Amino acid sequence: MAIKYTARVIEHFKNPHNIGVIENADASATEGSPACGDEITVYLKIDKATDRIEDVKFQSYGCASNIATGSIITDLAKGKTIDEAEAITWKQAADELGGLPPVKMHCSVLAVDGLRSAIRKYKKDTKGIDYDSALDVKTVTEELKHVLWPPVGVDIVTLQMVKYIGIDQGAVSIEVSINSDDKFLDPTIDEIIEHVSKIKGVKSVSVENV
Amino acid sequence: MIYLDNFRSTMVAPEVWEAMRAVATEEYAVPAAFTQCGTGAAELIERAQSRLATFIGATQNEIVFTGSGTEAVNIALLGSVRAQTIDKPEIVTSEIEYPATLAVFKALEKEGYKAHYIGVDGQGRYDLDQLASMLNEHTAMVSLMGVNHMIGTIEPLAKAGDIIAEASQRIGRRILYHVDFASALQTQRLNVDTIKADLVSFSSNKIHGPKGVGALYVRKGTKLRPITFGSESYSPLVPGTPNTMGIAGFDKAVELLYANFDGDVGQMRNLVNRLATGIQERIPYILLNGPEGMERAASHLCYSFLFIEGEAIMMFLDMEGIIVDTGSACAAATLKPDYILMAIGRNHEQAHGSIRFTLSRYTTEADIDTTLVKLVPIVERLRAQSTIRPPSQ
Repeated sequence: MAIKYTARVIEHFKNPHNIGVIENADASATEGSPACGDEITVYLKIDKATDRIEDVKFQSYGCASNIATGSIITDLAKGKTIDEAEAITWKQAADELGGLPPVKMHCSVLAVDGLRSAIRKYKKDTKGIDYDSALDVKTVTEELKHVLWPPVGVDIVTLQMVKYIGIDQGAVSIEVSINSDDKFLDPTIDEIIEHVSKIKGVKSVSVENV
Repeated sequence: MIYLDNFRSTMVAPEVWEAMRAVATEEYAVPAAFTQCGTGAAELIERAQSRLATFIGATQNEIVFTGSGTEAVNIALLGSVRAQTIDKPEIVTSEIEYPATLAVFKALEKEGYKAHYIGVDGQGRYDLDQLASMLNEHTAMVSLMGVNHMIGTIEPLAKAGDIIAEASQRIGRRILYHVDFASALQTQRLNVDTIKADLVSFSSNKIHGPKGVGALYVRKGTKLRPITFGSESYSPLVPGTPNTMGIAGFDKAVELLYANFDGDVGQMRNLVNRLATGIQERIPYILLNGPEGMERAASHLCYSFLFIEGEAIMMFLDMEGIIVDTGSACAAATLKPDYILMAIGRNHEQAHGSIRFTLSRYTTEADIDTTLVKLVPIVERLRAQSTIRPPSQ
């Protein structure tokens, strides 16, 4: 079972586009965390009259596919309006790279999350649009759609691995169904906690494998 | 290509390949047959047994060839515990063993064996007090390794052997002691009596022999139950037709290993020190994983390059034709950081930027110097791209 990168991934890893920092950026956001793995920061310069992304740059503390997806999503976002750029999906980013190994799909999720967070921060600051939705089962489910099951690169909600979501005054308890000696169990639980913890209003997250 | 991933596997030495070719095309008979060619094949195996036995202080009949190092570990561990009848049996190893050992332990745990895993210090050395405290009348077997495959720690096998011998005497029964010597054979001399081992496993492909062949030392009188079954004409422990081509290659590899052992290890030591010094002088914000100097095998060097990720370093080196390995979670099939780095107290972030260089006797000074020249700008470039800044910037 070879894990292989496409020529396009290698090309973007080797010579990433839009790498760096925008001083005086209109918005920037960091996603991921060094404690768990990769981290990406996206910087945006936006033309306020047209809401078009004039410039976009990123930095990555990550692997080849993380750097490559950062490169491709900034390419995709450049020149687009913020609404258009916000609609870019991780699937689109992966497709532009000619595909990613399933185990690496989460890298494209991270890059797209970075871009979206930066756009949403801008919208909140300049337009007062608040994306911090109420803490409910729907919000948690939406967030869990960003957690991919590494062997297939499909999210755990679609794969029906999430069996229960309970919320009680900011304490979120999640039940998943994964084979107890599966090698991906621990890293997936870590990722669930990382994702759900960042939802506004969440005080604690517990994940149980049932 | 500059190949610095020699723990994973080594190049087959040209002399080894020639020895294998001759067996494949000329001495291909099954060793059991009373024919000239059959006798030739049997003698070939006996020669190989004798040679390895001589170098490790054993006798010919105490060596059996296996289908791999992993198979040798499986026969040693499963075979030894299944040959014993112990009430509530317990088995002991460490948390930093090679995956083969840990996988067999997991399987035995499912069968009801109680497994203990001794911890290590910050350099990966076994906690021998913990080992001593875990041995009791229920202990069936202990399995330890000679050199840690990730960080090169030379483990105190003889001291562990003494502790096991003392505990055995106390309980009035021999606690079997298996040593995984696969990653140590290239740089460490071995005497099975000095370390008081009952079982020692070896792998051919770590010493410029072919893949698909290993060996197991079984001290005379040690009871093992076979784990596979078939024709016993070669060995009841490893039934079926023996891989004479692989054994001939392994034998040649052993001969070459000891032809200039001290000279080769000395050269690797000089080169690994040259690489370490070069990295220390040219790259700031690094952490050495494993012990300094002579307490680390001459074949191994593992550094964490902070603020960047190891797979990215590995890939850039690969594009320059330099092959290394990393303990980063990103490069692991399981997306978990290397368990050995975690066991010696590294955090996720420190394991993230780890690179392991493993040398062989074929590594040259030019290989090391080229690696340094290529590595420095790769680290600088990835750091310039990283979200994490060194504290000074």
